Amino acid sequence: MAGFVAVLRKDLTLELRGGESTLALVALSILILVVMVFALDPAGGAADAPIAAGALWVAMIFAGMAGAARTVLAERDNGCLRALYLSPLDRGALFLAKLAAASIFMIVAEAAVVLMLVLFFNLDFDLRLARMLPALALGLVGFAALATLLAAISGRVHAGDLLMPLLAVPMYVPALIAGVKASAAALGGAQWSAMGQWLRIMIAFDVLFVAAGFILFEHLLGED
Amino acid sequence: MANTFMRTLAALTGLLMFAAIYMTFAFVPTEAEQGIVQRIFYFHVPCAWVAFAAFGIVAISGIFYLWLGGQIWDDLGYACAEIGMVFCTLVLITGSIWARPIWGVWWTWDSRLTTTLILWLLYGGYIMLRAMAGDSPQVARFAAVIGIVAAADVPVIVVSVRLWRTIHPAVLITKQGEHGLTDPRMVATLLVALAAFTALFAWLLLIRFASLRTRSRLAALERELNLAEAAAGDL
Amino acid sequence: MENLGYLGAAYAIIFGVIFLYVIFIQRRQAQLDERMRALEARLAEVRDGLKHRSAG
Repeated sequence: MAGFVAVLRKDLTLELRGGESTLALVALSILILVVMVFALDPAGGAADAPIAAGALWVAMIFAGMAGAARTVLAERDNGCLRALYLSPLDRGALFLAKLAAASIFMIVAEAAVVLMLVLFFNLDFDLRLARMLPALALGLVGFAALATLLAAISGRVHAGDLLMPLLAVPMYVPALIAGVKASAAALGGAQWSAMGQWLRIMIAFDVLFVAAGFILFEHLLGED
Repeated sequence: MANTFMRTLAALTGLLMFAAIYMTFAFVPTEAEQGIVQRIFYFHVPCAWVAFAAFGIVAISGIFYLWLGGQIWDDLGYACAEIGMVFCTLVLITGSIWARPIWGVWWTWDSRLTTTLILWLLYGGYIMLRAMAGDSPQVARFAAVIGIVAAADVPVIVVSVRLWRTIHPAVLITKQGEHGLTDPRMVATLLVALAAFTALFAWLLLIRFASLRTRSRLAALERELNLAEAAAGDL
Repeated sequence: MENLGYLGAAYAIIFGVIFLYVIFIQRRQAQLDERMRALEARLAEVRDGLKHRSAG
């Protein structure tokens, strides 16, 4: 637990003292959202709910791919990852700390994206938007877990930056399907009950990948 | 001994495959609703069976690699992932060829098609990792983790894709006849084809696995010889 | 006998792809054999060197 807090605090301190991960993540997310608006050309009105939901999730995945992995990638240089591996820190705790840091960076980025989404798609700050948040939160944690797990791989193999999306996107499919469906339902004014099945899928996905990272992270850290 | 076994297995595979082809084209009655194209089914299903079995072994050998260690598990996982990809590709292609005359489209986002496509992409990523990252115990561990996580992800993918499709109205009416094997000869043909493809899988796996074993031993010997030469140079 | 073309295409592709895969395995095996011969040659060289050294 102490190790978890120490690593998380270190990452947050680094970020506050001029790390650009979160800023880049916010900028990239908004950029992708703008691209999506151009590409899909929303007509305005109720029919836009699925489009807005889709744009939001595309922005999250592709910005997250570049941004969420930073917490692990930043350790690669100067042999910090090796130092962490040699430290007596529990590997599971290390994974959870990295996951927590990545989640926090992504929450900041998503807050900005949701704000821009409301502006671009002329949504209201109402219950519909609030109903979308659980799906967004679950999707965000799941993606952060997946990205943290994969970053330990992609950061340390040849052409790893190409491998990251090749591995991450197919694995993220269940959460993506559920997230887009739940968000579209929420923005379209549906009740909680309509989202239940999607939220359950996302919970299953999150549990699976947090557990997988917790158990398997130690096998990814070692060197030969 | 090993050679005799491989030859026997190859002969058995050839024999079963010949029987399967004969039964598919000359023995089994033509399905009433779909006509002659339905015969694709007798080879399509065994391809799917081989692909799923191979991907399953990828995950199992990944667990054994992380648990017990040993290059042999890594070689087994790699061989299975490769063969699984070959047969998964065949499933998609033959499914597409079947769908065109029956459904009128090459592709539809039906739950089974979508799941197979996601699997193909998933293990495509695994193969890319192995192809791009090269060989080292580190990459072997990465691959083992990906193999395990991918297999664990499959049930979630299946459930989510199924829900995704039932929410939408079906664009095409899926004919349930696809699996209505009304004639016992159809069942017999399918079983023979399954046996033939299982034998083919075993044969392909053994030759590829043996090849990968050779490669691993060769790499180890090369490393050893490099060290020996370096040491001899120092004398 | 309509749609015979589809059926023929499906079976041609199945056996074509499997055949190509076997060829692919064979080619990589041939490369391995090449490496094996190179290794044997190097090993012989090292042995000869050791013999000369012990003789001289």
